[in-house]
Amino acid sequence: MGSRTLIRTCLRHSRRHLLRTLLLIFGIAMGVAGVVAIDMAKTSVEKSFEMSTTALVSRATHQIVGARLEIPQSVFKKLRTRLGIHRSAPVISRHVTLPELDDRIMTLMGVDPFSESHFRHLPLGTDNRDLSAVMTGSTGVFIARSHAGRFGLDIGSPLTISLGGRNTTVTVAGILDSRDKAVEQMLEGLVVTDISAAQEILDMDDHITRIDLILDPKDLAEEIQDRLPEGVFLVETDQQNHAVRGLSRSFENSLTAFSMLALFMGIFLIYNTVSFSVSRRHRLHAILRALGATRSGIFFTVMAEVMVYAVIGSILGVLLGILMGKGAVQAVIATVSEMYFTLTVGQTDIAGITLAKGLLAGILTSLIAGLFPALGAAGTRPVSLMHKSVSELRFQKMIPGLFVAGLVILTAAALLMRTGPARAGYDFTGLFMIFFGAALLTPLIIRVLVRTLLAAGARLLGIMVTMALRNITRSLRQTSVLMASLMVVTSVYIGIEVMTGSFRQSIVQWVDDHIGGHVHVSSADERHPALDPELVARIRQLPGVTAVSAYNIHPVFSRAAGKVHLFSYESNQSVMRWSWTAAPETELAALLENGWIFVSEIFARQHQVVPEPGAAVVLETRQGPVSFQIAGIFRDFFMGGGRVVMSRPTMARYWGHDDITSMQLFLASDTPAEPVMDAIQEMIPPGALIQVRAGAEIKQSILAVFDNTFIITSALQVLTAMVALTGILNAVMALLLERTREIGILRACGTLPGQVRQLLIYECFFYGLIAGIMAIPLGAILSWILIHVINQRAFGWTYDMVLTPGVMVQAVVLSSAAALAAGIFPALAAGRTQISEALHME
Amino acid sequence: MQEINKSFDDSGRRRKIFCSTSARFPSGSVSVIMGKSGVGKSSLLNLISGIDLPDSGHLRVGDHCISAMTDTQRTLFRRRHIGFIYQFFNLIPVLTVLENVILIAELDRVSQKKYLPRAQTLLEQVGLWDRRGDFPETLSGGEQQRVAIVRALVNDPDLVLADEPTGNLDQDTGKKIMEMISSLVRDQRKTLIMVTHSPDAAAWADQMFAVADCDLAAMDGPFHGPSHG
Repeated sequence: MGSRTLIRTCLRHSRRHLLRTLLLIFGIAMGVAGVVAIDMAKTSVEKSFEMSTTALVSRATHQIVGARLEIPQSVFKKLRTRLGIHRSAPVISRHVTLPELDDRIMTLMGVDPFSESHFRHLPLGTDNRDLSAVMTGSTGVFIARSHAGRFGLDIGSPLTISLGGRNTTVTVAGILDSRDKAVEQMLEGLVVTDISAAQEILDMDDHITRIDLILDPKDLAEEIQDRLPEGVFLVETDQQNHAVRGLSRSFENSLTAFSMLALFMGIFLIYNTVSFSVSRRHRLHAILRALGATRSGIFFTVMAEVMVYAVIGSILGVLLGILMGKGAVQAVIATVSEMYFTLTVGQTDIAGITLAKGLLAGILTSLIAGLFPALGAAGTRPVSLMHKSVSELRFQKMIPGLFVAGLVILTAAALLMRTGPARAGYDFTGLFMIFFGAALLTPLIIRVLVRTLLAAGARLLGIMVTMALRNITRSLRQTSVLMASLMVVTSVYIGIEVMTGSFRQSIVQWVDDHIGGHVHVSSADERHPALDPELVARIRQLPGVTAVSAYNIHPVFSRAAGKVHLFSYESNQSVMRWSWTAAPETELAALLENGWIFVSEIFARQHQVVPEPGAAVVLETRQGPVSFQIAGIFRDFFMGGGRVVMSRPTMARYWGHDDITSMQLFLASDTPAEPVMDAIQEMIPPGALIQVRAGAEIKQSILAVFDNTFIITSALQVLTAMVALTGILNAVMALLLERTREIGILRACGTLPGQVRQLLIYECFFYGLIAGIMAIPLGAILSWILIHVINQRAFGWTYDMVLTPGVMVQAVVLSSAAALAAGIFPALAAGRTQISEALHME
Repeated sequence: MQEINKSFDDSGRRRKIFCSTSARFPSGSVSVIMGKSGVGKSSLLNLISGIDLPDSGHLRVGDHCISAMTDTQRTLFRRRHIGFIYQFFNLIPVLTVLENVILIAELDRVSQKKYLPRAQTLLEQVGLWDRRGDFPETLSGGEQQRVAIVRALVNDPDLVLADEPTGNLDQDTGKKIMEMISSLVRDQRKTLIMVTHSPDAAAWADQMFAVADCDLAAMDGPFHGPSHG
């Protein structure tokens, strides 16, 4: 039999069920869209990072940096005069806010125009005056032409530059202009000025951020490092960028995990739809086989049809993904900027490889999902013309075997996740195996649950309830796939809900433990952050203040993470939650006094600290690299490269800071915060950059930042649910279509349309209820994996899992509601069944 | 049936089944309708049962004008006054023998006291009371049709409609089933209208009709129904 005829026959069959065919295409499209959107977000972060950071260092092979994130300008002079390294350039680089440019965060870059030629070609428009003349004159800056146009700025326009509460007014001295679109986008993140102007704006005296170098041959590096003063280091540019870039990689990988989750749903959906479609055509396939169609003919017909939908769905998915990706890019860039490193250029990148990946993912998963149903169709025996129940019977016999196979796969998944290497690929494989293994358990569990419900008295609720429940077990081959899909979706809901809920609870706890003071006083002056000791003493003595946490925070250079924050407490009210300690907690204070340090989980991860006694880490200090013994690792949500807590003498000795930069005041229960804040404001001398904020306000803003982190996760949760619901709707429609004849009989015997609808609604409700019940243990396992494996690897933090009965009830309600919603349309249609036509369906 | 007209849409063309057809099926008798495939025998049963409506004309069962009823009224009428027996038995696969039999009574919320004894009597009469807990798929074709007969009679209908009740059974079983239907219907003083291809059906008929040329014509006897000796 000609394959063309076969394909035409099947395609016509699909055209007859257009709505279901469209749902299948839509489901594939949604799955692909998720993959494309997330991949777009990832490549965009990559591109934005490159434009925000890498492009600024341009051709520099090395950089000279300081332990305190700045170095004296004299180092540059020595480098040129004593070592004769001419391919070097001093750079000041700081993130500043520009109020006139919609509070945009940009990099203020101070350069030496005479040294720049080896490194960067900062493009200047024809209407600019001579750069060096402008820069060496008054505080003039250069901004990108696009900003000048958008915000109505021209040469001579005043511009405010804000850093840590300090506002400086400068003048637009020139426009950075380029015909190259990529360069133009890079320039959008920059405000360029002369070194001395930058020092003035940032109040940096005679310090610079770094020196860029081109070292050729590279063996000069050792010689330079030997001649540098203590606390000043030579680092390789690529290595340094790689370390900073690495901070957000795991976060981006976790997004891939979620987009894969959407695609898993897609696999279930496609399998669902194709297997339903194949099963519905059992008779057609049997007739075709009886007429002479070969097994391979039927197999390739089914696969060709899947291929047609896969291609259409994937193309649509790519287009949809581009639309969704634009939103995802914004959300991911915002999170990366808030949590890891500031991206001054937000670049939406639609890479060809992303689109190809989406297309390939859609087509391949569709074909894989279609494989088993196609094999099933090819196996149709001509003699089974009238007996679809033959395959159902065969399936029913396989149920115990499937259960055992499911258990084996689950065990293998557990072993893989427990003992396998900590790589994303292994996690995804493990996760997929868990879903697949759990899905194989479902037929037996459904059978047991239905029997339990019937035995528990569901029969007393009437013949319709009995029929609805028995209908589920009668077509287990199909209903189990539908319910397994629903179970997986519901478990994903539970997983994400528990993960975000537990996380939020931990964040609240952490905020209360670490920054739970009622009033916070902190320096906003980045350059001179020390609070006046007299002011500190007066604040301590304010009436109503019962306890005080007084400490300093200083960002310092780290080879492994770019930047880490050091804390040393003069008085400490914070509670550390230890995930590992080298000694009993009673000895920790003594260890701290002996020069040991505590590090946060994120720091430990970034610096590859193995949590075991004797652990140490090398930090770049004013005295050069020093190894510190680690007394313990504490649970912490402070982002970036992490933080280190040390004693005040240690901080003073190695970094030269013995100031107080922040205070937290704990007030008596009857003392409101506002009067205390007012009193502090009155004590602050005019012009001092000191922030006084209420603890509640800080808590809210921290929670808002963390909530934003999960925006993209929640969006993916919605996407996953949409993919799954499409599949469920499709499956329910297909299942109920198969009941048409039965409905015809019922109607002929005197069943009212309302009673028919009731029967189908009951059936859908039980699909949802049983799937919801089955989802609870799977959801709990998934929550554990998300929290203790995927999230820990993504963010480096641990927190306790909180699985409340509320979430479980919510999940069961949601699953039942979803199945009910999917059943409404088919149930309404069933109520309108033409009895005579339905009875003719032999 | 009075001046019944009925046509169907057949691939865009109207195909007439009945043109001004009138007929009367006396109560308490067995009427057999014969005719070639596709002439509209089953459609006639659908019209009589109210499953389908005529384009024009009136259909009455006793004092009830079915053609004037709403869908719900027709459904309830069918439930309470009409029993159906099909060629393919049409039992609900997920219900046991007894549940299939009492399905309609349960849907109608009739008390168990009322329908259970009758269901038991009828199932005992057809020899299937012992298999009341079994599902249809475990029964033979003849047994399934016996269950369908009991289901058609359990609600004590005025009218029993049978559409090729022996069409899916071998000759011997078909004969036994026909004997069973006819004796139960006569014992219970019901009206039976049966559509069949079987020439043997005349043996049980009080009267016979033939569907041809968009009409229903009474055939001349004599017939050999048991009542005729």
